[in-house]
Amino acid sequence: MNFLQNFAIGQYVPRDSFVHRLDPRSKLLFLLFFTLLVFWANNWFSYGLLLCFLFMVTAASRIPGVYLLRGLKPVWFMLVITVILHLLITKGGAVYVQWGWFSIEQAGVQQAIYMAFRLGALVTMGALLTLTTTPMDLTDGLERLLAPLKRFNVPVHELALMLSIAMRFIPTLLEETDKIIKAQKARGVDFETGPLIQRAKHMIPIVIPLFVGAFRRAEELALAMEARGYRGGEGRTRLRQLHLSWRDTLLAGIAILLGVLMGWWRE
Amino acid sequence: MQITFENVSYRYAVGTPFEKAALHGLSFTIPSGAYVGIIGQTGSGKSTMIQHLNGLIKPTEGSVQVGTWRISADTKVPAQMRKEVGLVFQYPEHQLFEETVAKDVSFGPLNFGATPEEALELGRTALDLVGLPFEEFKDRSPFQLSGGQMRRVAIAGVLAMQPKALVLDEPTAGLDPAGRREILDNIYQIHQERQLTTLLVTHSMEEAARYADLLLVMADGKVAMMGEPADVFAQSERLRELSLDVPASVDFLTKLNEQLPPDKQLPASLYREEEVLKALLQRLTQRREASL
Ligand SMILES: Nc1ncnc2c1ncn2[C@@H]1O[C@H](COP(=O)(O)OP(=O)(O)O)[C@@H](O)[C@H]1O
Ligand SMILES: [Mg+2]
Repeated sequence: MNFLQNFAIGQYVPRDSFVHRLDPRSKLLFLLFFTLLVFWANNWFSYGLLLCFLFMVTAASRIPGVYLLRGLKPVWFMLVITVILHLLITKGGAVYVQWGWFSIEQAGVQQAIYMAFRLGALVTMGALLTLTTTPMDLTDGLERLLAPLKRFNVPVHELALMLSIAMRFIPTLLEETDKIIKAQKARGVDFETGPLIQRAKHMIPIVIPLFVGAFRRAEELALAMEARGYRGGEGRTRLRQLHLSWRDTLLAGIAILLGVLMGWWRE
Repeated sequence: MQITFENVSYRYAVGTPFEKAALHGLSFTIPSGAYVGIIGQTGSGKSTMIQHLNGLIKPTEGSVQVGTWRISADTKVPAQMRKEVGLVFQYPEHQLFEETVAKDVSFGPLNFGATPEEALELGRTALDLVGLPFEEFKDRSPFQLSGGQMRRVAIAGVLAMQPKALVLDEPTAGLDPAGRREILDNIYQIHQERQLTTLLVTHSMEEAARYADLLLVMADGKVAMMGEPADVFAQSERLRELSLDVPASVDFLTKLNEQLPPDKQLPASLYREEEVLKALLQRLTQRREASL
């Protein structure tokens, strides 16, 4: 049992690739656009096009495909449930299997595949975003994109800060969890066998130290920020500036092309 | 409990972009009953190595023999191994979770099938061993103790399992000098009383020199040197290459000997602070007597 090895979301994989070098704002906007496309698609052609595109992006990101798939483990379960539900509930078209009241029909199969694809494609794209963008860049990008909302008194900077702190501490907390699990195993806790209630009880020696540690970290961080005179967003300058480059222009071009093709092929 | 590593290699996160080789073909033997100091720079693989001793991680290649158990990549780790090899992690106070000190130290024994009364009794002995009177501390919350006391409670929690081998990962990190000395003296006493096989991971050459019968120096996931402290410290050049120092006492002795004529030099094999001090005092009293 090692969380660190199965948890891809929120874990940046340093590489030098086209996707890594895109501006985080473009990537965020593109993800939004891609989401729209995924829901706009409505036939085999349009889904096929998006699937091809997904493969291309994965290749361009130089993230090993196996690793990407393994990182999607947490959503496999949801995917399977979606597929089963659609197979059972959606009716219409040719009947493939009939068994009493139970039947699997053509519309069900089609819907199951479409929905599974939608979910899979969105999560994959989202994972690709976090795998190729540092948490810092991601929240910087988000803050910039949402900046206009400041006019409506939305605390954009504070939200972005919260998000970046949360993301910054995901790997730390995972590491800490791993260490606490090992420490309690060394004291004889058996996490792998025994009845379910017993195993649930074994969460206590993990969860409590984890919370204590998280609060300790939060306090230390707050103190460190105050000690350095942090006061919030007003008039703050940035160490690192975001720059758009030819890559982002190219991405915009690709987005338009994708949109046009989709409009053409969908029914 | 004799411990033998045979050509042990370990890689973290195999099959991911984060794959990292931490140990490369370690081979060594630690005799039963020895007190071994394990030294090496941060990242040299000390923590990874010691987690093999109670099967928390298993070698990617090679095998580890601990007492009668032999662990390799696909062995199932027997539960008893965790009891016999007590492992104290770095900052062990981060693992405390119970409401009271007494409950926390009896957690280990309970997991290994002791009755609540037995577990409490084992906890009492263990707390006394680390210098925390049971009656005074048993009902206090572990989270309201000082850093040093929390550390002791955590160590007691491992001692309560009555292990035959004790492995400590930098047990003095972040403590003040007096607290360090006290905890280590304590551990040494337990080591002798219970005739444990003890492995102490430490950054400090002084700590290693004071207690260890054997030193294991690690560098880049390999065993760089192993032997008796006097022999290891004699190779100060090699240690410096590994960015490690000789203990202050050895350094002092070397510098002193450089100033003395060859026939007056103190034996270079001394390395414990007390021994150096004693030799020095002896020399000085001799001189006084001679001049009288
Ligand atoms: N959980 C882990 N995942 C991946 N790599 C690790 C992990 N723990 C340690 N390492 C790596 O293994 C190497 C040895 O680390 P470690 O055994 O902690 O050394 P030490 O205790 O001597 O400081 C280091 O390069 C470290 O980065
Ligand atoms: Mg370490």
